[in-house]
Amino acid sequence: MESVPAARKSSSSPVVGVGLCDSVPLLWRVEDLKTVRSWGLVGALLGSLPRTPRQNGRLGRPLLLLPEEERLLSERHAALLLCWQDGGGPELHQQVEQYEEQQQRTYEEQTILALEDRKSALIRAMTPSHTGEALQVHLETLDQSFTFPRSALAVQLSTARVGLSYCPETRAFLRADWPIRVQDHCSGGVRYQVFRDLRGRGFYLTSAGKFGGDFLVYPGDPLRFHAHFIAVCLSLDQSVCLLDILAMARLGSGVKKTVLLCSPGTDGGVVYTSLQWSGMV
Amino acid sequence: MLGTSGRPGVTEKPPPPNWILVHPTYQQMKTLEVGDSAQVHAAFLVYMDLAEEHYILTVTLILSFAVRRWKEVSCVKSPELQVVLLEGREKEGAPVHTVLPLPVDQSLSHKSIRHVLDRGFPVLLCAVASDSTLVYQRMTDGLVTPDPPVGPFQDVGRRQHRKRRQQH
Repeated sequence: MESVPAARKSSSSPVVGVGLCDSVPLLWRVEDLKTVRSWGLVGALLGSLPRTPRQNGRLGRPLLLLPEEERLLSERHAALLLCWQDGGGPELHQQVEQYEEQQQRTYEEQTILALEDRKSALIRAMTPSHTGEALQVHLETLDQSFTFPRSALAVQLSTARVGLSYCPETRAFLRADWPIRVQDHCSGGVRYQVFRDLRGRGFYLTSAGKFGGDFLVYPGDPLRFHAHFIAVCLSLDQSVCLLDILAMARLGSGVKKTVLLCSPGTDGGVVYTSLQWSGMV
Repeated sequence: MLGTSGRPGVTEKPPPPNWILVHPTYQQMKTLEVGDSAQVHAAFLVYMDLAEEHYILTVTLILSFAVRRWKEVSCVKSPELQVVLLEGREKEGAPVHTVLPLPVDQSLSHKSIRHVLDRGFPVLLCAVASDSTLVYQRMTDGLVTPDPPVGPFQDVGRRQHRKRRQQH
């Protein structure tokens, strides 16, 4: 399917569940990520992968949606909110208590094991010339004075493929049935109109923070193509410094992309002007 | 400027200090009655760069002789923008271009750019700095795919990857 379905046709058209984290729209479920990609929306992965930590070359779920992407989904009625209870509740308190009890048990077990370790290390370190009595004295002092610091506690993290739908609580969390929030900006922001128009023409768009523009425009899936354009969204009447235009065009030529000035026109369409370095030395 | 021998450096007499003001093209631009004198001055400098021989002081402080020799260069007024535009061909048979000269400290809107594009010719925007440096940029309606990267392309090979890994 190339584009987001225009209208929801009973149960055949899939709907994705959007989780809000402090008003940031996130997708958590793998099927949702696949669906949204098939509709030409790329988003940005944010999560770290437990088996490959300390790098951000490959990231995992959740997927962060651009505000324009979220708005497109809600206009097509293709998204619902994941609703979870915040502020605690008796279940949550119980879970926290259970967790802390479990931690305490582990701590006590580990203290015993650590003490035994220290004792055997002491015995090994003792040379045969030492008498048995001295050894006993040492061991007793150790018994009395040994403390296992909390910071040395080994905590087990599960990295097996538990998945987000493993526990009944998370399954309930992932049930999306709340209507998506209505975004309260004026009908058709400049950025959104440009986004919708370019998406409608089959381009894939991601954010262009690295290039000082609004969007990076790809002729196909970003995994297969380099971006062709850096889209800069502005209204037709907006005044731009000539120096800024120069800087953008120079940057674009440096990274082999065309800078695209995009403005919503008066007739509902969008006008595009391509800016290219002239090469006239 | 240029002596009759046509070579730089062989001048017969230095130009008068007001040579711009008496230049026929400049006077023609004045008749267009564009209020922005800085823009008219910029337009004249661009005209000189396109059509006539002139000296430029390069970044390395070398005085060099520059000429583009565009054909049929004329000036025209844009009623919407109230500026002097130039039209010309890079050489015989080349398509006519519209050139929009602007001092670099000015701003413009996308709407003004569209007005110039609406004339129907490919547009070159020329930014004129206070030291008379000129920078040209091409502006086109629509989405112009950039040129693809130039080959020949070589796969880096595993040896390079291994080298990079060992550096970590």
